[in-house]
Amino acid sequence: MNEPVIVLNQLSKSFGDVHAVQNVSLTIEPGTIFGFLGANGAGKTTTMRMLCGLIHPTSGMATIAGNDIWKDRQVARTKFGYVAQRFSLYPDLTVEENFRFFGGACRVPAAELEKRITRSLSLTDLEKKRDTPAGSLSGGMRQLLALGCALIHDPPLLFLDEPTSGLDPVHRQQIWNLLYDLSNDGKTIFVTTHYMDEAERCTGVGFLEAGRLLANASPRALKASFRAKLLELDIEPIMPALVRLRNLPEVLGVSLRSGGLRIYAPDPEKLLANWRAQWPFPDLNLLGERWVEPDMEDVFTAYSQGYVELLKGSAS
Amino acid sequence: MKGISLSAIMSVAYKEFLHIYRDRRVLLLLLILPPLFTLLFGHAFENTQLTDVPALLINRDDTPRTARFVDIILKDKTFQWRKPGPGFNGDSDLLANGVKASLVIPAGWSETLDSGDPKPLPLYLDDSDTNTATTVEGAMQQNLANFQAKERDLIVESLPDEVIELGKKLPINIRKQFVSLMSAWGVETKNLYNPKSRFIDYVLPGIIGLILQLLTVTLMACTIARERESGTLYQLMVTSLKRGEIVIGKILPYLAVSIFLIVVVSSVASWHFQVRFYQPPALALICLLFLLCSLGLGLLISAFSRTQTEAIQFSVFFLLPVFVLSGAFAPLEQLPKAIRYISEIFPLTHFCRAFRLVNMYHAAASLYVVDLVVLLAGALITFAGAAFFLKRIEQ
Repeated sequence: MNEPVIVLNQLSKSFGDVHAVQNVSLTIEPGTIFGFLGANGAGKTTTMRMLCGLIHPTSGMATIAGNDIWKDRQVARTKFGYVAQRFSLYPDLTVEENFRFFGGACRVPAAELEKRITRSLSLTDLEKKRDTPAGSLSGGMRQLLALGCALIHDPPLLFLDEPTSGLDPVHRQQIWNLLYDLSNDGKTIFVTTHYMDEAERCTGVGFLEAGRLLANASPRALKASFRAKLLELDIEPIMPALVRLRNLPEVLGVSLRSGGLRIYAPDPEKLLANWRAQWPFPDLNLLGERWVEPDMEDVFTAYSQGYVELLKGSAS
Repeated sequence: MKGISLSAIMSVAYKEFLHIYRDRRVLLLLLILPPLFTLLFGHAFENTQLTDVPALLINRDDTPRTARFVDIILKDKTFQWRKPGPGFNGDSDLLANGVKASLVIPAGWSETLDSGDPKPLPLYLDDSDTNTATTVEGAMQQNLANFQAKERDLIVESLPDEVIELGKKLPINIRKQFVSLMSAWGVETKNLYNPKSRFIDYVLPGIIGLILQLLTVTLMACTIARERESGTLYQLMVTSLKRGEIVIGKILPYLAVSIFLIVVVSSVASWHFQVRFYQPPALALICLLFLLCSLGLGLLISAFSRTQTEAIQFSVFFLLPVFVLSGAFAPLEQLPKAIRYISEIFPLTHFCRAFRLVNMYHAAASLYVVDLVVLLAGALITFAGAAFFLKRIEQ
C-alpha cells in the first residue's frame, strides 16, 4: 500500500503553440484526497484527460498503479473511475440501466453485476430513483449517478473533474461525505475544483497556473507558506475604500471578506504604521484593524495573481 | 481484435437498442416510413406512360378529311385537347394558352394532300421538359401515320377500274412488292425478364435501397456523433471497452432494425404488389452485404463528424447524388458514360444491379459475383475507415 497511486514525471501537453501543461511532476499516495486547483484554462482538465489516457502527452510520462497512462492505458483504466466535468451519462437510460451499462463496459463479471448495482444504488442514495431516466434527475442526483457509475467496477482511484460545480450546498455536502467514506475505505481521490472551501477538505493540494504546478502541499502547509498574517481593515464607506486602496502602489490587491477589507501587501506592518501616523483618505473612516490567518482563498489569490512577495519562497 | 468480449459487445448493443426504443419519434419513423414509402413509390412508378398532356388544336381547314384526322387525334389518350377559346393568344404562345403543345391545321391542308405536295402540320412543343416534348412529337407522328394508312385504304378502294386493270398487267413480283409496301411493317415483340411489364419489379430494389440508405445511414451516422456531442464518448473511452467492441455493439441493433425494415418492405411488395422473390437466400445475401456497406458508411460519417448536425449534413450530401445516379429508379443507360463510372462507386448501384439480376433475370451467380465483391469491399473499407478515424480522435 505504500506504493504511490499516481506518479507524474515532467508531464507536458502542447496544442500547437499553446503549452497547456508544462513539466508537471507529482506523486500521490494511496488514500489521499488530492485537490487540483487552478483557474479556468490553467490545464487541470488537460492533465486529468492525460491521466485518463484520453489524450496523448506531448512529453514526460505518468503512471497509475505502476501502469503507463498511455502505453498501458487499457490496464490503467481498470484502476480508476472518471467523473467528467459535463454530465456525460445517457439521459434516456434509467439510473439502473446506466449502472448496468457501465458495469458491462467496465467488464464487471455477470455474477457480481447485480451486487455492484445494488451497492452503487445505496452509496449514491438513488434506490428510489432506480427506474427514473437520468435526464429527469436534478443536477445533484445526476452527479451522484455519475459517481456511482465511476465506482461500478470498484476502482482504487477516482478522478473527478469539478464534481460539485453548479450544485446546491446540500448536494455538495452529500458528495463530499461520499468522498470521505470512499477515502476512508482506502480509495484515492483526485479532484479538480475552484471552490476554496473544497480545497480545505482535501488532504493534499496541487496548484496549477498557466500549465505549471506552482505548489503541491497540504492545505495547512500552503497556508503556512505565507510570510506573515494578513491585515484586515474595517472602513466606511467600504466600496470606495476598496477601489482606492487597490490602486495604491504599495498594495498588491484587496479582497472583501465578511465586511472587512483584506490587504495583500509586501510590507503590511509598515503600511499600517504609516496610516496610523497619517490616514491619507479624509473622506474614509478607518474604524478598526486586525491581523488574520491566511485561508485557502488567500492561497489561491496569492498563487493565481502571482503575489510572490507574500510567500516564504517556493512551498513544496 | 484480440480480447474482444461478447458480453461487453452486448452491453453496448443493449444500450444502443434502448436509445432507439426510447426515441419514440425515430421509432415511429422506422415503423411507418418503410411500408408507406413502398406503397407510395410502388404506385407512383406503376405506369410510366405519359397521359393527358394539355394541347391546343387549331383547325382552320373545315373539310371531311380533316374531320377524320381530328377524330383520330381526339382518341389519343396522350393528349387532352382544347379548342381556341375567348382568351386565345396566337398559335405559338403555349404559356399564355396554358398548354404544352399546339397543333395547327392550316386552311387548305386537305387540298395539299390531294395536290401531291403534302404540307407538314405546324406543331409547337414546350421543350422545357425534353422528355414530354419527345413523347408528344412521337405520338403525333404515330397519329399522322395512322391517318395516312386509313386515307390510303380509302384511296385504294376508290381507285378507278382502269387503274386496277393496269395493275393486273404488272409482273407478279412487282405486284407483291406493291402489296408489301401498302401494309405496315412491324416487329414482333417478346418481353423477357419482366413479361408482365411491371415497373414495381424493377423499382423494388430501389425502394429498399432508398429506405435503408435514408434511415440506416442517417441514424447510424448520428450514433457516435451524438456521444461526442454529449461528452459520453470520453466516458465510454475510459471504460475497458475496446474500439472494436464499441463499433460492433453499435452496429448490431441497427443491423437488426435494417433486417426488420427489409422484411417489412418485402412483405408489402409481396402482398400488395404481388412481387415474387426468386432465390431468397441469394437475395438475402445481397441485402446483407448492402446493409453492412450502408452501416459502415454511416459509421464512417459518424466517426469524422463532430456533431449530429454535421453527421446529417454529410449524410445528405452523400445520399443525394446516390439517389439520382445509382440507377435505382431509372436505368443507368440514360446517363452519359463518364457519369456511369461515378455511379459504380455507389453501393446502391451494385445492390440494385445484383438484386435485379437475381430476381428478374434469374441469372447465374457468376454474373453478379462482381457486384457482391464490390459491396463486400465497400463494407470492409468503410469499417476500416471508421476505425481509423475513431483512433485519431483518441489522440
